Amino acid sequence: MIAYIGDVWAGFLTVLHAMRVTLRHLFTPAVTVQYPTVRRTLPLRSLNRHVLTVDLATGKLKCTACDACAKVCPTRCITIIGAGKGKERHPVEFVIDHNLCMYCNLCVEACPFDAITMWTGNFEIGAFNRMGLVFDQTALSADRFYPTPDTPALVPAAATRAEAAAATAADK
Amino acid sequence: MSILEGRFEPGVVTTSIDLVFNWARRNSPWPVTFGLACCAIEMMATGAARFDMDRFGAGVFRPSPRQSDVMIVAGTVTEKMAPRIKTLYEQMADPKWVIAMGACAISGGPFYWDAYHVVKGVDRIVPVDVYVPGCPPRPEALLFGVLKLQEKIAQESIAKRKLPAVTVPESIPTGAPA
Repeated sequence: MIAYIGDVWAGFLTVLHAMRVTLRHLFTPAVTVQYPTVRRTLPLRSLNRHVLTVDLATGKLKCTACDACAKVCPTRCITIIGAGKGKERHPVEFVIDHNLCMYCNLCVEACPFDAITMWTGNFEIGAFNRMGLVFDQTALSADRFYPTPDTPALVPAAATRAEAAAATAADK
Repeated sequence: MSILEGRFEPGVVTTSIDLVFNWARRNSPWPVTFGLACCAIEMMATGAARFDMDRFGAGVFRPSPRQSDVMIVAGTVTEKMAPRIKTLYEQMADPKWVIAMGACAISGGPFYWDAYHVVKGVDRIVPVDVYVPGCPPRPEALLFGVLKLQEKIAQESIAKRKLPAVTVPESIPTGAPA
């Protein structure tokens, strides 16, 4: 009889133990990132959509259409048509097919002028058709003042954008 | 798609019904429990607590195609798997949608040029609604794809409509040797 009551009491205590764990988790903040409204900070070197970088002194693309990235690309998703000779050489058409891109960063490593980067944090490129994922030179250099983790202070537009974002965050 | 679809002229009644139907369909796109390769790991991460696809009603992974609305093709579609994917798609009840997740599912990706065993894009066997590029896409990118799909569902109608003219690009620039 004593043993039976002891068992019942032990069972009651066990339930209390379990409820303590439940209650503790009830009042700790959730780990969920509320994605469309809240963006988590991406890892420093996360690879995302390419951006052709701009020479801040001249305001032109750094790319010289040397085809190094297109040659090294394992999926051959880069097409470059260049024009001009010597120092004047520049890309006329620079197309990256994100249907094929495997985000290996080899194009960035091959580039001798740091003219292309994947540290852009821009991953929202879903589309309704395959042509929506083929980015030409305009699309690739449109958001050229991107905030990267290592060079936010260099680019004035990025700094102002960050200030604007901070202001809107403060308003909320 | 469904029995009602394409049988009535557009009008006050059909558009009002659209509102209700699309609201219900948009907020419960249940995916099939179905992963083919490494993209499936990211899909699992998207369904788990950190990213939580359930916030959009899309986290109820059904073990049967009969109960699901969305097929997230996550991974490499091999020639051997392709007939099974087609079967799965045909077993799903209408209305149904497909998200192609990752470069392999979209176009074959790294296997596009030199592989004999990979289907060059899942849209060769089933119609795809949303393409989510990445290798693999990060969980937020898949969530973005789900949101895009919800946009698409919101625009659907059960009324008769003219199909939009399909514009086929003259050439898809892929870097192919000329």
